[in-house]
Amino acid sequence: MPVWQRVYEEINDPNFVLVCVAQDTGGEAVAGPIFDAANPTYVQVVDEDHLISSVFNFVNVPSAAWIDEEGKIVRIDEGTYSRKHKFGEGEQAISFGNDVYSPALKDWVAKGADSVYVQSASTVTGNIREHGFDQMKADAAFRLANLFRAHGDKDKAEQYWELARSLNPDSINFIRQNLTLTEEGSGGETFMKLMGEYVSQGKHYYRPLDIDGA
Amino acid sequence: MAKAFGAFPEYRHPFDATPIHPEGSTTVLYQGKTVTLTETGNRDGLLIRPADLSRVNGFELKPEGVCFKDICIPMKDGLLVERDGKQWFDLVAFADLLGQPYVADTESRVWSFAEIPAKREAMMLNAMAPEFEVIDRQGKVVRLADFKGKKALIVTWSSW
Repeated sequence: MPVWQRVYEEINDPNFVLVCVAQDTGGEAVAGPIFDAANPTYVQVVDEDHLISSVFNFVNVPSAAWIDEEGKIVRIDEGTYSRKHKFGEGEQAISFGNDVYSPALKDWVAKGADSVYVQSASTVTGNIREHGFDQMKADAAFRLANLFRAHGDKDKAEQYWELARSLNPDSINFIRQNLTLTEEGSGGETFMKLMGEYVSQGKHYYRPLDIDGA
Repeated sequence: MAKAFGAFPEYRHPFDATPIHPEGSTTVLYQGKTVTLTETGNRDGLLIRPADLSRVNGFELKPEGVCFKDICIPMKDGLLVERDGKQWFDLVAFADLLGQPYVADTESRVWSFAEIPAKREAMMLNAMAPEFEVIDRQGKVVRLADFKGKKALIVTWSSW
């Protein structure tokens, strides 16, 4: 989150709004301190029910939509990294992200519709994921699970989390969110197995980033 | 043993058991809102008082039909029913009419409705962002409409 604050400050345009939305069932207790550490001046939302992922049909984080002055989406559903990140050292090191997304974003804020990074409506609609009856029902089940959880009904929370996952098995958000609430965590064996299946089936949890140099 | 990456098992069920709503009430979830209804018309389905409709999903009953802003759906048989001398609106029949998914826990009297598919059509057809409403960390309502005339980047992230 500090990196997005830096990008926001670099853009420094009163006609640009950055809304960072934590998809975190853990709520303020989990996401709040991470926000606070960034000293953010952008809009911060803790979205326990993953409503924004549902609105834009995202299946993973970080994902984003660029929305122009008229409310039109001009890019969507790409792995939204403000820069390259690296965890660990030596052979254990893991890197992800890129250094081209932020410059593209800045170009769009500066040039608007003349930016080469603005995509046509047909490209954008082609990049929006299908979110059919079962996926929408999964959203409703996830919300119901969270309500039961908030009221201490463990059995029903588990029942409806499981229903959400079964209705939308492609949601990395649902499965990783659930894994965070286990000893295994969100990056363990189950997650690695899921990723392997995703890749072997030719699925993308983000749309491929269509920016030169990505 | 070191804690696994993104592991917060202590947050799985941190809450004490509390009632979802007062005895005899019904809870409806839709678009991030939680609405408690004190009066419903049946045990297994979801008959609500017509006056509660706008609280639940923003629709209103008008002479033209069931209306959201300036869009009206003509009234169909079975949406308005009489029972025990009162008029009720069948919210489940309405959801079925709209193709709106829902999940119900009838034992607990909680109904969770997904988005109405027609509200997403503009995004799929011409890339217009759908309306949304969330609450920021300062408690302020954040709507897409707030950003009209500005460029906005809506980015999701997570602690995990």
